[in-house]
Amino acid sequence: MKYALYLGCTVQTEQYGYEASVRVTMPRLGVELVDMAGASCCGFPPFSSVNELAWLYSSARNMAIAEGMGLPLFALCNGCHLSFAETKHMLEQNPEMKAKVNGKLAKEGLRYEGNVRLVHIFELLHDITGKDKITTALSNPLKGLRFAAQPGCHAIRPSRVGRPDDAENPKKLDDLITWLGAESADYPEKIDCCGSSLAVAAGKATLDIAGEKLKAVKRRGFDGLVTTCPFCFKVYDNKQRAIQVTVGDRELEVPVFYYTQLLGLAMGLKQEELGIDLNQSPVDAVLAKIGGA
Amino acid sequence: MTQKKSPKAVFQANAEACDQCGKCPSSCPVTIHVEGFNPRQIIAKVALGREADLMKSQVIWTCTSCLKCKERCPEEISPYDVIQALRRIAIYLELPHPEGYDASVKAVVETGVVQQPQLVRTRSKERKDRKSMGLPPAEKPRDMAAYTETLREILGEETV
Repeated sequence: MKYALYLGCTVQTEQYGYEASVRVTMPRLGVELVDMAGASCCGFPPFSSVNELAWLYSSARNMAIAEGMGLPLFALCNGCHLSFAETKHMLEQNPEMKAKVNGKLAKEGLRYEGNVRLVHIFELLHDITGKDKITTALSNPLKGLRFAAQPGCHAIRPSRVGRPDDAENPKKLDDLITWLGAESADYPEKIDCCGSSLAVAAGKATLDIAGEKLKAVKRRGFDGLVTTCPFCFKVYDNKQRAIQVTVGDRELEVPVFYYTQLLGLAMGLKQEELGIDLNQSPVDAVLAKIGGA
Repeated sequence: MTQKKSPKAVFQANAEACDQCGKCPSSCPVTIHVEGFNPRQIIAKVALGREADLMKSQVIWTCTSCLKCKERCPEEISPYDVIQALRRIAIYLELPHPEGYDASVKAVVETGVVQQPQLVRTRSKERKDRKSMGLPPAEKPRDMAAYTETLREILGEETV
């Protein structure tokens, strides 16, 4: 199984723990990742709020590169994946716009046909790789830990353009957590937003919104929060101290992991290979419990 | 400021189909935390032809794009998409908006990405970059001049 790996701006410029853990775990599951030469921003944001053609062009440009490679497009980021799915949907409905976009792409010798296959990490791990392959790749199952799944808004909504999990009752990330030997449990705040898109206009509101989720995860007795979305991680992990200050609770500590980091630990990989030293939330107690390498 | 004519509000017919059922504000995480932000009221104002007031206010910039309103709207109006359209028209009309958008647009047009690869810190305050993480160089358009020129051309056209 070979896939074009699309990192997106946030992952490739700062969320190195996600990228590193994906690059080291996927090949162990038989997934071959091929980098996309000449990839650029998907356009979501900023162009989606600024100029529709610039947005559609930006997403179609990367989909055209993947089509040229003859590989399914595996976008790591929820936002990029949704941007591609929405653009694909819109250009299917609107041949005139598709022709306009292709007119712009021609300047770089690119062409978007619309036959690209989009793959989300939930599909790649849950539906394509599957439980048997994942469980047999593990040497250090995560016993005695209970994690809250954070699928992220753009992985599950809007259902009308086709998303990799259910809009109101997503379960794939929970399944993936349990396949590692850990526990997961449904909780009412699971499909709530991290608020990160608000950071441009109202930074304090982002921290308030994110704080609600961290409080819920802690109150419900989870050992940590697990996501595959770089924006969710950036808020819940990287900004956890700022959240504590904003909500006025210094004790609001929640360990946060990328799913692929936990997958790697369960495979017996070293923390540094998985970029876990970059997690800013208090993960050490959970790591001690996991043990291994 | 150059005088520009507001493009036709294609979303207005959608807004008129709104039943004012209230599913959108009851789903909205921003309505709880930011006073004055209410997707149902935004749709009502658009239906009444008062989108100019909305575009002049900062309220359209505080949507966090969680898409619950788009998912749950029984009339498939999608307050989210109406807000995105209002933002695009507001920018076309050169109305005030958060400066972060201009910075991001400039970065993408000139470099292909929103920001350049950052130096990040480990929990023990050690600095890491892509190279020290063992990651390959970040991707960008190979013909940057053609890419930049194309985006500049698009942004210069009379479209939103």
